[in-house]
Amino acid sequence: MNKKNKIAILLFASLCLIGVCLYYTIIERGDIDILEATAEMHTNSELLVDLYSKDEDKANSHYKNKIIEVTGIVKEISFLNNRNTILLKGNTTKSSVICDMQLNQTAILRKLKKDDVVKIKGVCKGYLKDVILLNCTFINQNTNE
Amino acid sequence: MNKILIQLFLIFNLISSDSVSDQVITRQGQVSFFSYTSVENIEAKNNQVLSIIDLSKQEIAISMLMNAFIFKKSLMHEHFNESYIESDLYPKATFQGNFIDFDPSIEGSQTRFVKGTLTIRNISKEIEIKTNIENVDGKFLITGDFELVVKDFEIKIPPILRPNIAKVISVKFRFEYQPYEE
Repeated sequence: MNKKNKIAILLFASLCLIGVCLYYTIIERGDIDILEATAEMHTNSELLVDLYSKDEDKANSHYKNKIIEVTGIVKEISFLNNRNTILLKGNTTKSSVICDMQLNQTAILRKLKKDDVVKIKGVCKGYLKDVILLNCTFINQNTNE
Repeated sequence: MNKILIQLFLIFNLISSDSVSDQVITRQGQVSFFSYTSVENIEAKNNQVLSIIDLSKQEIAISMLMNAFIFKKSLMHEHFNESYIESDLYPKATFQGNFIDFDPSIEGSQTRFVKGTLTIRNISKEIEIKTNIENVDGKFLITGDFELVVKDFEIKIPPILRPNIAKVISVKFRFEYQPYEE
C-alpha cells in the first residue's frame, strides 16, 4: 500500500469517527442533566403561582425554559400516566406547581407524604391552571428515613 | 383574530366559571403524537394537559403547553419547538368543543363524538373526534385518537427534513378526570 492510500484511509477513518462523535453529541443527546446543573433562580411554590396567576407574560419572561429551584409543601403525589408527579401548594387552592419528576427520583418520592416540605429543581415550562416544571429532581432530600 | 378571541373567552369562561359542581377536571391529561415515515419514527408525549368538562352543558375545554412535549431525542424537541410549532410565538394549543348525545348519568362505557375547534399556532380548524367515555362511580376517563394534517396548521418543514416528517400525524389522548373542587 503506497503512502497516498494510507493517508486516504486514515483521513476517511478520521472523518467517520468525527461523524459518529457528532451524531452522538448532537442527534442522540438526551436531556440536560438537571442533577448536575445549577439552578438559575430560587423561589417558593406559593410565590411562583402568585406571579404566574397575576401576570403570565411577565412570569414567563423570568422563568420559562429556565432551571429553577422551588421550595414548597406537598399537596399531592401522583403516579398517573406512569409518571412520578408532585403537586406543590400554590397561594390558593385552585393552583399549584406540577413537578414531573425524573424516574431516578422514585425512591425519594415514595417516602414522601402530603404536607412534607421539599426543595425541587426543574425546568419551568409555563402556566395553564398550574405552573409546570419538567425534568425535576429533589435537592438535599434525605433518603435514609 | 376575532375567532381566536371568542374561543379563548369561551375557554376562560369554562375554566373560571363559578358553577363547578357539574365540572370535572384533569391537570395531568396525556396527549401523544406519532409521525411514521420510512426514514424515522417520531413520538412525543405531553403529560400535563389541562382539561375541564362541564357535564351539564356537555362542553369540553382542553389547553396544553406545546413546549411540554417530551421527545426521546432533545434535537427533535428543539426542532419541534423552534422550527415547526414556534412555541415561543404560539405557546399553547387549545380545543373547545361539545359532546354529541353524551349522557353523564350512564355508568360504564359509551362511544360519543366531540365536535369543536382545535387551535394550533393560532390557526383554528373545526374537527370531529370519536371518543370512548368511561364512567366508573362518577369518575370519567376519556380516550381516543385522531389524525392531523401538518399543512393545515401551516407548519413549515425544510425540504431536507421532509422525508423525516409524516404529512399526517396520529394523535392519541387519555384524560382521567376528577371532580372539580375549588
